[in-house]
Formats: sequence, structure tokens, C-alpha cells
Amino acid sequence: MNRFSLVRLPTLGEAQAQVAGDPGARVFRAGGIDLLDRLKEGLESPTQLVELSAVADAFGPRMQEIRATDTGPVIGALVTLAQLAKQEMSPAYGALQAAARSAASPAIQHTATVGGNLLQRPRCWYYRDAEIKCLKKGGNRCYAQDGRNRYHAVLGGGPAYIVHPSSLGAPLVALGASVVIAGIDGAERTIPIGKLFHLPSTSPQTESTLAAGEVVVEIVLPKAATGQRSAYAVAKERSTYDWPLVEAAVKLDLDGGVMKNVQVGLGHVAPIPWDASEAARVLEGQRPDAGRFERAGQAAFKRAVPLPDNAYKMPLGVGLIRRALHEATDLPLPE
Amino acid sequence: MADKRTVSVGVANRIKRIKLEIPSDEPTPWDAKSNLKFVGTPTPRLDGPQKVSGRAKYTHDINLPGLLHGAILRSPHAAATVKSVDVSAAKEIDGVKAVLAVAEPGERVVFAGQDVAAVAATRPEIARSALAAIKVEYERRDHVVEVREARLGTAPRVHEGKVRERRTEGAEPDSAGASKAKRPLPPNVRPLSPMKAGDVAKGLALAQVRHSAQYSTPVILHSALETHGLLVRWDDPSSMTVWSSTQSIFSVRDEMAEVFGIKPADVHVITEHMGGGFGAKFGAGAPGSRLGYIAGTLAKAAGAPVKLMCTRQGEQLATGNRPDSVQRVELGATKSGKLTAIHVVSHGTAGIGTGAGVGRNAFAIYTRCPNRLVEAHDVFTNGGPGTAMRAPGHPQGAFALELALDELAAKVGQDPVKLRIDHDEHPVRKHQFEIGAREFGWTQGRKQSRADREAGKRIRRGLGVAASIWGDFGRAKAAVATCNIYRDGTIEVQNGVQDLGTGIATVLAQVAAEVFQRPLSTVKIRYGRSEFGRSVGSGGSQTTASVTPAVRKACEQVKADLAEVAASKLGGKAKDLTWDENGTAAVGGNRLAFGDICKLIPEETLTATASRPDTYGSYPMKFMGSNRYQIAGVQFAEVRVDTWTGEVRATRILAVHDPGRVMNELTVRSQINGGIIMGAGMALSEQRVMDARSGRVLNANLEGYKVATVADVPDIQILLTQVHAGNNNTGAIGIGEPATIPTAAALATAVFDALGAPVRALPLTPDRVLAALGVVPGKARPEAGGAA
Repeated sequence: MNRFSLVRLPTLGEAQAQVAGDPGARVFRAGGIDLLDRLKEGLESPTQLVELSAVADAFGPRMQEIRATDTGPVIGALVTLAQLAKQEMSPAYGALQAAARSAASPAIQHTATVGGNLLQRPRCWYYRDAEIKCLKKGGNRCYAQDGRNRYHAVLGGGPAYIVHPSSLGAPLVALGASVVIAGIDGAERTIPIGKLFHLPSTSPQTESTLAAGEVVVEIVLPKAATGQRSAYAVAKERSTYDWPLVEAAVKLDLDGGVMKNVQVGLGHVAPIPWDASEAARVLEGQRPDAGRFERAGQAAFKRAVPLPDNAYKMPLGVGLIRRALHEATDLPLPE
Repeated sequence: MADKRTVSVGVANRIKRIKLEIPSDEPTPWDAKSNLKFVGTPTPRLDGPQKVSGRAKYTHDINLPGLLHGAILRSPHAAATVKSVDVSAAKEIDGVKAVLAVAEPGERVVFAGQDVAAVAATRPEIARSALAAIKVEYERRDHVVEVREARLGTAPRVHEGKVRERRTEGAEPDSAGASKAKRPLPPNVRPLSPMKAGDVAKGLALAQVRHSAQYSTPVILHSALETHGLLVRWDDPSSMTVWSSTQSIFSVRDEMAEVFGIKPADVHVITEHMGGGFGAKFGAGAPGSRLGYIAGTLAKAAGAPVKLMCTRQGEQLATGNRPDSVQRVELGATKSGKLTAIHVVSHGTAGIGTGAGVGRNAFAIYTRCPNRLVEAHDVFTNGGPGTAMRAPGHPQGAFALELALDELAAKVGQDPVKLRIDHDEHPVRKHQFEIGAREFGWTQGRKQSRADREAGKRIRRGLGVAASIWGDFGRAKAAVATCNIYRDGTIEVQNGVQDLGTGIATVLAQVAAEVFQRPLSTVKIRYGRSEFGRSVGSGGSQTTASVTPAVRKACEQVKADLAEVAASKLGGKAKDLTWDENGTAAVGGNRLAFGDICKLIPEETLTATASRPDTYGSYPMKFMGSNRYQIAGVQFAEVRVDTWTGEVRATRILAVHDPGRVMNELTVRSQINGGIIMGAGMALSEQRVMDARSGRVLNANLEGYKVATVADVPDIQILLTQVHAGNNNTGAIGIGEPATIPTAAALATAVFDALGAPVRALPLTPDRVLAALGVVPGKARPEAGGAA
């Protein structure tokens, strides 16, 4: 890890200008969990960490709080996963809170922020090894493609096969969340969560669509419809302090015993939080039914192209989609 | 001089009196009839408050005036020739006090992580960043990291010339070493001495039912919380003090003396507290890193003490590992379930090191099967060297054999516990199988799991079982203990043994308290320093068996001297003197309290020094034909498997073990808990992942290398079936290693019970479970393994 200075500026505009002045050498620090990993792993050597928690203008409270508004909850980007997990929220958003509770370990949840969690870099072990110059680091190949790829992408992969690392991604996709971004010119814009990330085919070295110096200010959840339910299911190799193998998040409105406005998000199967609209289509307008849940799960993976070691993610993903749907619809799981 | 003494031996209520020949100066052994007050009582470890309050100083915590911090530059390449090492730029950095090129031009590096150069600086971060200023030119060579490829004749040759076998005190005594190949083998393959009984070809020919399948286990990393390392301070040009995180103070002393050409007596080694070793911490260096040489050389060059602790990455790459294994197991049986043959052929890699055997399980437990052959091979690869790890070879061997046995049992329609009892000759282990099955609810539970399986339930429960084998490896004369008793009544025991966290110091205090019948608070144990007298390394689960008899003997001698003091005051003969349970002496109707006797000690102390003799007895079962007792253990496991996701949870373990005499029930249970947790990690989530193309370990950390977390620990129930074997004067044996041998195997057999299909590779991760269920595209469900 190199030496760096910690820069604390009172306004978001100044902080943004500071980073934009020399991107690469200057980076934002929120919770610092992933950032510190990257510094220690020798992947990056910035000279300045610009601390977002120092921002004291109007953006400060917006980034630090969870607010209930007439149009739905707004979650500041500096809210920690622990705060998000224990906030009193409508069960309609249960998938998001369950994901926050399941991420990493309690200690990390108390430091990691919502914005930092979404924008952390991938955990691919080739990317994380400073000695291996892979596609994501300006090299000319993705080592995972024909290397050790049990944790890699089955959907949306190529030319890199990373998976999106944040556990919040899948529930935010399912809940139809938007992201408020402070642009470098002072203008704010709101984009759907799906537009915050791009596939490796667009540009393999980056994952987010943010320009240098841009900051995620808050996450906006749509107002919950009457009868809205959501659920999150995850499988890991150990019970805690582990990265998910696959995650499934579902949201639906139960309206007269029929599932409406169904959305299914998948995590750790693709380089971005995956919108499994094929699964949602199988469910839309139908009554909850175990057989239909299974077909929905299978539809989600119809376009999957597994690598040699990760085909298991397909049946696993089907199982998790089923589990989440049973939970969201209160249809008892089979024994 | 020796004489015959009668000793009560056995287990539970099956006690028998036998005559043993015992050296005349030995105290009469504590046996099944001894009524002990301190020994055996659950006693919290004496250093517990220090540990939980953070006052305990581990090697990592030691700080000295002017201390420098060392750091090592490790090879990024798995195979290369070093062309040059230029440390000059690093030397110029402010704060850097010494630099060292460890690799010489022309030298080959043979694994990614090998020592290349080192620095010492005033701050750890300066040392680490100075490594970046060292320029090394490499000429890359071809490497091979996987057993499958390394076995081919065309594979790059890992070693040129002869391979030196590195054995440590962690290696199991008398375990298989290299043997001569009967036929020419590829250059990276080297056979170990086979274990053979009867004729397996004949046994297989006689078989009416056969089972043959391949089982594999990955490379496992010790992952001790305290990484390897030491602090070296030269006290003058020919003597040094070394603080070391070690399982063996005296092996550190001897190796440092040898490396620096000084006398062992001039090397003072200190290990006050130790943060985990598990077999990898013997000697001044680590198995793949010359830590002692580097720290000592840097300290000499800088003229200041140097602390050199491995980074986590260095720890996971270069300080030893449990070798992997690919085992072909072939079993033969009659239709009624009588085993006719056990044949295991294994290949495994200890990287550039040696010792990838699979232990004694297949050969030495189910000995009513007359024909047994275990043929193991080391396969050299460009990986960090393997070394002893908690029961070297055994957990791997247990996994393959026990799962194969259950697959065979399913074929012949035999209950797995009965199959085992029918073929085990050890009376204690048979007893353990019986009481364990009862306590665990085996018969009913297996019926239930079968019903759940047949009903195709989503969540399945499964029960499994596996056995443990280990020996009483307590060593004669290796530990020398001193007992001093002071005029103020303080009892002081000295021995230079390290306490690697298992609580040996507390057990030694219990032994001294027992001999003198004095409160524990009056006993001082001096340990963890070479100056306190020779002792054993903590390997082979032998510490308690080696040290407690020496301590007892020294204490008994002092007590005899104290009796003389009391008798002369009381006006009787020492041989007629009796002690009561408060340490009060009586002879001829006169009494004298312990404190009053001590005041009469003529000089400052009464002192005696003693060691223990060879093991006297091995009742009721010898280990592999030696005069050592074979300790037995059995573990039952319950798992819960989600067939939708392939997730396995270990829900329950029942561990039935014979540790010899239970010296301290709390520390015995603690070691068994630790062994089970370690085994659960091996079963469920641990595996080193190596990249074939780059030859680099992809998870040299504690994030991707997944030891069990607290949430992964099953409910653990422990039954202790202590055996009095008549082996030494305290009856202590050991438990560290046997407690971890059967855990992964028991969990794997439980998963087989849950699924009805075996998962023949560890760890039992969702990808493998789903493949065993036949639901992963492109992955076939495992074959049943050989025809009837």
C-alpha cells in the first residue's frame, strides 16, 4: 500500500472537482472497505482519498439519511448496510433489507455504505491478483474464461466474465430503483439502477457508467403498490462472511390472488445486476404455483452460456428463484 | 533397575489388573483405580484472563527498543531462473537498515511465493514498500501445478537432482517415507513405502461384490491466525535471543545454531503464547521460507533486532499445507458384507515438498479384512511445500475409505455401523461405535433419512460415521522437568515446553498440585523458554504424554526429600510418613503442616530434575505392531442438505474419543471442538485454488480460502471413553490429531445418506452436490462404482 493523503472538503462540488482534477490519482472514499482492499492488494495507488463523509453542504444529510417521501423511500449513498438493514421499512422492500443483512459480516455491514457497496470493484481472483495483467487491467485476455471460473458469469459474459459483486444490485433491480447522480457540472440526474452499470462488451475495464468525479447521492425506491411483496434468496459456500454464489430477488404485487408487476433480479450470475425479465414474464398475471415458479426459474437461464466450472449456477439459480417466489407469495415451500 | 508393578487398566467398567515392568525409580503409575483430586478436574486455563484481556504477548506483539521490521520479496513465478537480484535502490530508501538478496543469480525458483530478497526497516510499511524497489530479472521456465498433468512423462520436471525429504516433529512417527520404485516412473512421481497385509489380488478375486471409485481432496492450508515468524536479537556476536511463533522451541534453537554456526546453548528461544500451528510451525524457518536465516542475517547486518512475520499472503503460499489427494479405492466383499480386500492407490502433491501419503485409516482400522494394500505416491508440482498438518494424511485417507465403505455397505444392504464393528479389532473403538450409535439415534435417524430420500423431499437430513486412529507417541527422555519447592511453600515447575494454545501449562500445574496435594495457586509453571530445560516439540499429539510424566517424577522426588525433612523434625522415618489431603505430614502420631515443613528446608529450595522412561504398556491394543497403545475415536455426523441449492449444513457431530487419561476435561473438550471445527471447514468449504496457466494461488488469503466461520460450526457433543493403558506414570496420551481425523469423512458419509448419491470430492460445495443430484448440465451423476 502506498502513502496517501486524506482530503476532507466541505462541499460536494469541491470534492468532485478535486477528484475530477486528477482521476486515478484521486479517488472518493466512503466506507473504504473495498478501497482499502484494492490499496493493500496493490491494484491502485492513489495519492489522495477524498472523503465523502466530510461533505457538509446540503448533500451531506441527503447522502447520510434514509428518508420516507411521498414517492417512496430515498436511501442516502453513505447509509451503511447495517443502518439499511435495521431501518423500519415496509415489508414491500424486504428483499433489499434481507440482502443488506446477508452481505459480508456484521462488522463490515457497520462500515460499508450503500453507494460504496454498489460501486465496489469485482471480486474476480484474476482481477484481484496484481501480478496478473488481465483484460480488466489493460491486458488482452480474460483469464477466467478458460481458467478457474466457478464463481464467474453465466449470463452477459464476454469478453470479461466477472460477476457484479454487490448484494444490493439484484433487489434494487427487482424493486425498480433509480439512482440520483451528482454530475460534475453541478447538475443532478436520475437514472434507473440498470443504467448505472454496463456490460464488459461495452468496455471491459470499467463496470459503472459514472464519469470521473461523479457521485451517487441517493437511491430512490418507487412507492410500493398495495399488495407489493418482495423476497431475497442467496446461496453461499459458508454461512456468513462469504460472497454469494447466486442471489435471486423478486418483487410482485399480489392482486386478487394474481401476481402483477413482477420483477426478478439476479446477483452473481452476470457482470451486472441481472434483470431476469424472461422469468417475470412467465409469472405475470398468473396465480402463485410451485410448478410455474420452477418454469420461471428455468426461463431466467434460457440464454445462459456456462463456462467449464460454473454450470451449477443455473440449477442453483432456479432453486433460489423458486425459494424467493414461495416466500414472496406465502406459498409454503415443499418440505 | 526395574521391577514388576500391578496396574489397573481398561475402559469404563472393564478394568483389569496387569503386571508391568517399570523402572525402579518411577512413581507407581496413576491408573484406573487412582482417585485424583486435581488431575482430571475441569480446570480453566491459567492464562485465560491474560488471553481474553489482550495482555498475553504473542510473537507478533513483541516490541523492543530499536526494533526493525522485516519483509520478504517472493517470486511471482512458479518456475524461473533468477538472472539477477539488485537490492541497491532499496538500500537507499530512508528508514531501510538492511537488505538481503536471498536468491542467487542462476538459482531456480520452483514455486510462486519462494523467497527472493528481503529488507529490514524502521517501520513495517517502509519495509513493504522497499520491496518494490528491488529489481529481479527472471528467465521464465515451464511449470506444472496439477497432479494430473505432473504425472505425465512429458510434464516439466519440478526438481533437478535428488529431493531431500524434510521431516519435522509434526510428521507421524514411523510414517511412510520414500521407497524405491519397482518400475520406472515419470520424473515427478515418487512412491512412498506401501502398507501391505495379505494379498489384495486374491481378496478381490474372492469378492462377490466389488466397489471401485476415485476420491479426491484438495490442498488445505493451515491458516493459523498468528502467521509464521520470529524476532531475532543478537546479544553479542555469538549469542542471540529469539522470540518465535513455534510448536517447537528446541527445533528453533537447534536450527538457528546450525544456520549461524553458534552453540545451541547460546540461542535463547522464547514462546510465551502461540497463535496456532497445526503442524506447520517446526524449526526456525517455515517449510517454504527461510525465515530464521533471513531475520538473523538482517539483524546482524543492521546491528539491531529484527522482527519478521509473514504476511497473510506469504503465510498461505510458503509456510506449508496439507497435500491434496486423488485416491482410487477398490473394495471387495462377500454378499453378506464380509470384507475381502481394501486396496488404495493414491497420488497427491505436497508441491515441491514430500509427504503426500494418506495415513493409516485404510490399512490399520478395519483389520478383520485380511487383505489390505495402500500404495501412495508423491507427485511433485510447482507449488508451496506441503508439511505436517494435524494428523498428516489421515483426514484425506479417512474421507476416501469411509465413503467407499458406505457405498459398499449400500450395495450389500449392510448397516454402515455394523460393517465397521464387524471389521474393527479394537475393543475400545467397537465400544465407541456402539455407544455412539445409541446416543446419536443412529438407527431411527437412518430410517428417517431413507424415508425422506424416497419421498424426494427438498430438504434432506443425512447421518454418517467415521473412525479415527492414532498412537500414544509420548517420548522417553525428551523432556526434562525441574521441580523446586521454596521455603514459603511455593512449588515451581520448569520445563521449556511451548504452550501452543492447548493449555499444557495448566495441565502441568494440575499434576504438581496433585502430587503435593496443594492448591493450584501455590504452583508456578515456568515454560515457553529454552532455558527452562529440554522439551518436546508439539507434534504427533505427544506433548502431554511426554511432559506430564517427567513433571510428576520430578515432583515426587522433591516430595520424597520433603518427607525426609518432615520425618527428621517429627522424629520418625520418612518411609513411615503419610500425607493427608491437605499436604499435612504425619509419622509416629506427630503431625506437621505443609507450610511448616517448607520453612525447615535447609537451603533455599529442594530441587529435583527428571525425565520419563520408555512407554511401559499398551493395553488393550497395540498400534501397528509397536509397543504404543492405539487410541481410538469415532465421530457421528448429521447434515442438512437443500436439494434445490446444493447447500450443505453440518448440524450435529457426536465425537466419541479416547484421549488416554483425561488430564483436564475442559482443555480436552476444547481440543476436540477445535479438531471438529477444522474438519468441518475441510469438509464444507476449504480448498486452495491454483491457476494452471500462471502457476499462482488464486486465494492466498482468508477471503477466498474459506475456513469455517462460527456460523458453520455444528452442535458438538463429546463423549470421553478414557482408557487407562498403563503407558506412563500419569496415563496421559493425547487428542490433538485424532479429534480431526474422522470429521470430514463423517460429514461426507452423511451427505451420501442424505442424497443417496456420493459426493466423492471435498469440499462438499453446492456445485458438487447439485452435480451428484444429476441436475447440472454437462455434469454426469456419479457412477455407482464397479459391478457386483
